Amino acid sequence: MRIDMFGDTLCAMVTAAAMAQSGHRVRWWLPPGRVARALDDGRVLYQEPGLAELVSSQRRAGRLDCRTDEPGLASANGEPAVSEPAPVVCLALQPGDLERAGHLADWAGRGGARLLINQSVFPVGTTEQMQARLSDAGANTPVVCLPDTLQEGQALDSFTRPHHLLLGCDDREAEVLVRELLRPYNRRRDVLKVMLPREAEFTKLAISGMLATRLSYMNDMALLAEQLAVDIDVIRQGVGSDPRIGEAYLYAGCGFGGPGFSRDVMSLTDTLRSRRIGAELLEQVLQINERQKEVLFRKFWRHYEGDVEQRRVTLWGAAFKPGSDRIDNGPALRLIEALWAQDVDVHVHDPLALPELSAWARGKGTLTLHDDPYEAARDSDALMLVTEWKAYWGPDWDDLKSAMRTPLILDGRNIYDPAYVKRQGFTYHGIGRG
Amino acid sequence: MTTSTLQNLPPHDDEATRAADQALRDHAGQAGEWHLADLFADDPNRFDTLSLHAGGVLADFSKQRLTAETLEKLRALAGARGLDAWIRCLFEGGEVNWTEGRAAMHWRLRQPARDDGEQDPVQAQLLRMERIVKRILSGQWRGCEGDAITDVVNVGVGGSDLGPLMASVALHENQPPEGRRPRVHFVSSMDGSQIAPLLDELNPATTLIVVSSKSFTTVDTLSNAATARYWLEKAFPDRNGAVLRCHFVGISAKPERMSEWGIHGDNQLLFWDWVGGRYSLWSAIGLPIALTIGMDGFRELLAGANEMDRHFQDAPWERNLPVLLGLVDVWNLNFLNITARAVLPYDGRLKHWPSYVEQLEMESNGKSVDRDGQLVDYHTCPVIWGEVGPNAQHAFYQLLHQGTRPVACEFIAAARHGRRQGSSAELQPLEEQHILTLANCLAQSRLLALGDRALAEDDDTPTYKRYRGNQPSTTLLLDELTPRHLGALVALYEHKVFVQAVLWGINPFDQWGVEMGKKIATDMIQVLGNGDGGDGLDASTRALARYVRERQA
Repeated sequence: MRIDMFGDTLCAMVTAAAMAQSGHRVRWWLPPGRVARALDDGRVLYQEPGLAELVSSQRRAGRLDCRTDEPGLASANGEPAVSEPAPVVCLALQPGDLERAGHLADWAGRGGARLLINQSVFPVGTTEQMQARLSDAGANTPVVCLPDTLQEGQALDSFTRPHHLLLGCDDREAEVLVRELLRPYNRRRDVLKVMLPREAEFTKLAISGMLATRLSYMNDMALLAEQLAVDIDVIRQGVGSDPRIGEAYLYAGCGFGGPGFSRDVMSLTDTLRSRRIGAELLEQVLQINERQKEVLFRKFWRHYEGDVEQRRVTLWGAAFKPGSDRIDNGPALRLIEALWAQDVDVHVHDPLALPELSAWARGKGTLTLHDDPYEAARDSDALMLVTEWKAYWGPDWDDLKSAMRTPLILDGRNIYDPAYVKRQGFTYHGIGRG
Repeated sequence: MTTSTLQNLPPHDDEATRAADQALRDHAGQAGEWHLADLFADDPNRFDTLSLHAGGVLADFSKQRLTAETLEKLRALAGARGLDAWIRCLFEGGEVNWTEGRAAMHWRLRQPARDDGEQDPVQAQLLRMERIVKRILSGQWRGCEGDAITDVVNVGVGGSDLGPLMASVALHENQPPEGRRPRVHFVSSMDGSQIAPLLDELNPATTLIVVSSKSFTTVDTLSNAATARYWLEKAFPDRNGAVLRCHFVGISAKPERMSEWGIHGDNQLLFWDWVGGRYSLWSAIGLPIALTIGMDGFRELLAGANEMDRHFQDAPWERNLPVLLGLVDVWNLNFLNITARAVLPYDGRLKHWPSYVEQLEMESNGKSVDRDGQLVDYHTCPVIWGEVGPNAQHAFYQLLHQGTRPVACEFIAAARHGRRQGSSAELQPLEEQHILTLANCLAQSRLLALGDRALAEDDDTPTYKRYRGNQPSTTLLLDELTPRHLGALVALYEHKVFVQAVLWGINPFDQWGVEMGKKIATDMIQVLGNGDGGDGLDASTRALARYVRERQA
């Protein structure tokens, strides 16, 4: 089948590439920006296992046709300059792109597309509003919602081997078509949960809200654990072994971030607020998370009793999670801003995210970026472990100790064994570890 | 810096001043018979000749019991009293505060930065202040636990409280363009009644205390500051060094006393002996204002005041707002014998304006000794009080309308409300409330001026329903309540206070009358404690002290 994909989100890329892989012919329309520029240079911006290979193989095979050339892309209102939409049109736009989504829906409807799939994270109810808009204009293209439930860091896998998929759809024929498109990924058992479009949109946000709540809850518990001199990691294992709770998303740490997750929670909070429902719990969840992003700074500040000017600090990790080059909303940014404000000299190592970080820091302040983690730690007064890249799990403690001016480890992901690290001659503070 | 000395100034009392004074007395003899209703009936152009606009402030004097001729005679008196030389002396940094042997250069605080701004101590302190403001607004001022500051408590009294409080509340709708402003609280009363409930609410980890005192000896302020310090040190017993460094900022003219108290050198903001306390909101004392509206907004406030400074120096007296406002007050007090003035803002944002003005005027001009040390034989400052106008309508306006005393009134309002912020900003009824308030302002000044003649004629009205009218008033209309226009308004009042002081021959920049009470209070503590030293007291005080002692036991 022919598919038109719009947007430059990770979801757009994964869906376009996976659909091409299963034999569909995909035209992928990208707005100008970093993702499009990288594709033009033959690169793939999203660092996801297997994704870059898949995108280039599908382009080579001619099934994935990336349209990044501006003139071909859009007329004034963002519609493609070609008049005929493919039978299936997918929208995986950035969250703020509502207006463009409307124009594209009009275009798809006018051109007689058989199905419009909205994968963008928009406020609850948007898909149904698009449907109404098309019906009012006399188009009979059904609009369904297939929320983006990709897990960053294993995005391709979570699309091609989904544990569950949400489909918001109230049109039988449209459902048949969606099932046909997803058939290769829905074989072992039916993982498709079909509900109303607004229910699917809401479910997606509610999942993110619940996961965020678990994390913030554990971070609150971590504060208490510190006061009571117990190790939150022991508590986590005990709590997670209860089958009513399960083990996922119970890790205390220095805050969640990323382009998707925190955005969803914020979107849910906004939805609640706009309906005049006090989003009290979620506001707290976000607030605790914001506080948590600074937790390593506070430990550093307390260690030196506020006398931190001119000291040197090393960050290991800047990406919001291992396996990604994205830094959006991540704790590293908040930490760096806090350190800058106190005239602290900041050195950073990260296997992937340094180009992103350097672009973010431009015009804001000075960072020294290192290819070598031990160089980054040289003469440092504190090492902050921000992202749990595998390469950080087993450092050469002797080298690290001789590199640092003060052997102080601030472990934002609780990846080290406190007793062991202390025996190596370090001062160690984790999150919620007494 | 000083080129003009007081010796160069004309004597307060000589042939010329006596002649000008007598001319006014003769004129007042007729004016005493005038009714405002007649003045308006006689001269349809009255508003045009008796109003003017400067610095974003429209002043209407046409509801005062005077004419253009009155103003001319008042200007003649000001000329004979050497007002022009005094204004020059003020702005040249002469020793206008002669009882304390120093200049009064609050106007220096709002001069624009010169090219050599680095060397200018005023600009240097503004930059230090800006750094602190920026750090707090960006959430990067850290408490001793490393948390961002969410609440700032300004501990100060008098000029270290009234000015910052008045302006912060007045301009609260102006958000800083960047960052997140802290909640700003004000604590002044020495009995701890303000600070106690506040400390119950606040989180010590995220609270910053600003201790503001020009002398850094004011007992009211230091006792509140000591309570705050005790609260913080008790909250963080292990971090005593960091508590002072992270939670206290000091603002004073006495750095050594701040250091002695424990304010960290990096957290000290300075101003100078030549800034009077009640004239100090333009200095670092204005920190709470800058935290509320941002540093750009604070600089706008300074710019508005500077505009008024230049107007005061340059505009001919016929068009000079501070000069005219001062002269009109002198006319009412000394020639029409109206010894009370009511200050009536028709804008809730200006709710602290009356108490601010009460201090500015009554502490400045509540004096009775002239430059030669002689007691004056005329009235100086009137009794001033006030309240937000619409609320006062339900309180003391009865006295204004039907009481026996003449009272000069001062109406202050904003023609446009200006940009509202917050979730209620879009509510259309709020705009209607603003118009309703202005309508009340105009209605009241009209009724006070014209009395029954503002109403339809009806001779059968019983006397108790009648309005005498002829209560004089000035209306000051700000184009909009912006930082710039508020700056101009405050500077207008500062300068008119100076104009009056020159006409009365008194020093508006000292306050010896508030010193002695502080001293004898110190002795009284012992009397209340164990009765020692009570024998020499008068019977009333001795008995009251004993009564207190018995109930404390």
